[in-house]
Amino acid sequence: MFQITKPSGQQLLLVLVAIALLIFVAACRRKAPTTVLTGQEPQAKEPAGSPPSKIQADRTLHNPPALTARGDDARKAVTAFIDWAGASLPEEHEDGRKVLAGARENEDIVKAFAAEITQAQRTDHSRALLALSLLGEMGSPSAEEFFRQFVNQPFPESGTRTAEGEIVEQTALATLQAKAIDGLAYLNSASANEEVLRQVGRHPSIIVRSEAISAYLWNQKDKEAARRTLLQHVRKGEERYIDQVIREEGESAASFNSKLDAYLKAHPDIAPPAPEGQRREYGKADDSPNPGAPPKH
Amino acid sequence: MRSNRTIILCLVLLLGCMSTTVYGVCNQSTASQADRDLWNMHGCWQDFFLWQYRAYDVRANDWSNRGYFDCCNVNLEYPKHWNASYLVTYRLNDNNDQSWHGTIDYRAAAEAAGGNFHDRFFHLAIDDSDVYGRFTPPDQVKTSCLLYDNNSASANNNPASRAGDFIHEGWHAWNQRWGYNGGGGSCGHFNGPNGNCSMSPCGCDYFYFHGVSVYVFGAMWENNGTASRFHSPTQVQVEFLCDVADQSSAPASVKTAARADANARSAARFINGPGYRCGNPRPW
Repeated sequence: MFQITKPSGQQLLLVLVAIALLIFVAACRRKAPTTVLTGQEPQAKEPAGSPPSKIQADRTLHNPPALTARGDDARKAVTAFIDWAGASLPEEHEDGRKVLAGARENEDIVKAFAAEITQAQRTDHSRALLALSLLGEMGSPSAEEFFRQFVNQPFPESGTRTAEGEIVEQTALATLQAKAIDGLAYLNSASANEEVLRQVGRHPSIIVRSEAISAYLWNQKDKEAARRTLLQHVRKGEERYIDQVIREEGESAASFNSKLDAYLKAHPDIAPPAPEGQRREYGKADDSPNPGAPPKH
Repeated sequence: MRSNRTIILCLVLLLGCMSTTVYGVCNQSTASQADRDLWNMHGCWQDFFLWQYRAYDVRANDWSNRGYFDCCNVNLEYPKHWNASYLVTYRLNDNNDQSWHGTIDYRAAAEAAGGNFHDRFFHLAIDDSDVYGRFTPPDQVKTSCLLYDNNSASANNNPASRAGDFIHEGWHAWNQRWGYNGGGGSCGHFNGPNGNCSMSPCGCDYFYFHGVSVYVFGAMWENNGTASRFHSPTQVQVEFLCDVADQSSAPASVKTAARADANARSAARFINGPGYRCGNPRPW
């Protein structure tokens, strides 16, 4: 059935408003730049700053903020410490570790870290990750319950799904929970280890299960006993994660390469197939204009 | 009358939404701590960004509403783009006995110039949230809001993950340059889940294990048509992130983010995984 109806006044008004708005939007679009700007240099609104070499030379190193405050001041101290730690360089690492170890018994500092993590989890993933690392490094028994609750936060089943099938919210939470697992395993208490081993088998994300395996193993002195324990908890098909090859910071090529050889011999099934495609043989020098070497640092 | 007003309001909102879609760019109101910490190492370094836009072939017409003309405002996309380039260009240690590869390799993978690593391409930004980045043949390396927005749910809005994606997408261009198909899946990788790769429907790679010092710096592009000398896109990304985490003078927030990203990818994205693990699990 096909029916023609006479438009009411209300419908006419609607159409007029829609047309007016479309004209307005179209007019706005015409004002947007349509010329091709390729080749135009980027510009800053601020004057050029000092070169990085001067910025870095002017920075005071080895000066971490204290973590001795109590009560309301603890939160300010923790905020300042996280700011410092985030910007700190490798040569300042031990400075930070000493301050954190000194605050191990300060429950107000632990609570302040927990509050910072909870806040940053909603606003800044990199800060939440950093703060979880620092709280873990403190090794405070008072943090155990916080870490336990953190790794048991409900895992999202839906969210922003990429074309590859990754749910962005899952990865974001899993990487944070993996860091919380590091903190639990580093405590190395019976109850913390029990939670770590529970997550080895039960956590829905392989990112967290894998971290739980590595963290448990690394924190146990008796590696063979730890491996046997892990084999009782690991999911079927994930036993290989127990042997995952770790490149330790500062490790020599000889040391790493011998570990890798042993791993590959123990797991011949992981040899990848030849890459797919037909390799093209043609020599080609740098064929396009480039701006030369980057400026000196 | 009231219903007329309601209808008009709805129309205005609808058209407003449509126009936002047309002009939409990522949320550019904040920057992550990792971005700010790295930024504070160089500040508004004019010589570098005037080099970087040419080295990466960043074009004004693609980036004009993303900070191209306000390129010392770290909240904006183009400043975040060149912040990540700064990490690739200057902060790696290039330790022959400990790094997977050198600055020369990662720069060649990420920068625009053609050669053994890939044919020439250019960098542009996209608003899609269904990818972190994408290589669109023959010559487009695209990075998305998930690598820039600090208030998105993403774990990857930091300079290490962003730079890692430059290298990952650049490696798809390497596949194209050398005639490999990357696995034949729907997204330039193998389909999954497959083996120890939990990605579904695609996003799986093989890890072609190699020792430290096996590739001299500058030779990451080398391949011989077999698994004995080859890298997959996610593997070069993991190796770069590992080198940032373990072999760089980047700020701690950047190194921490790099390690988390590398280990997450190593655990979840390799058919014959896990790949290498970066660093030990000591918390900090």
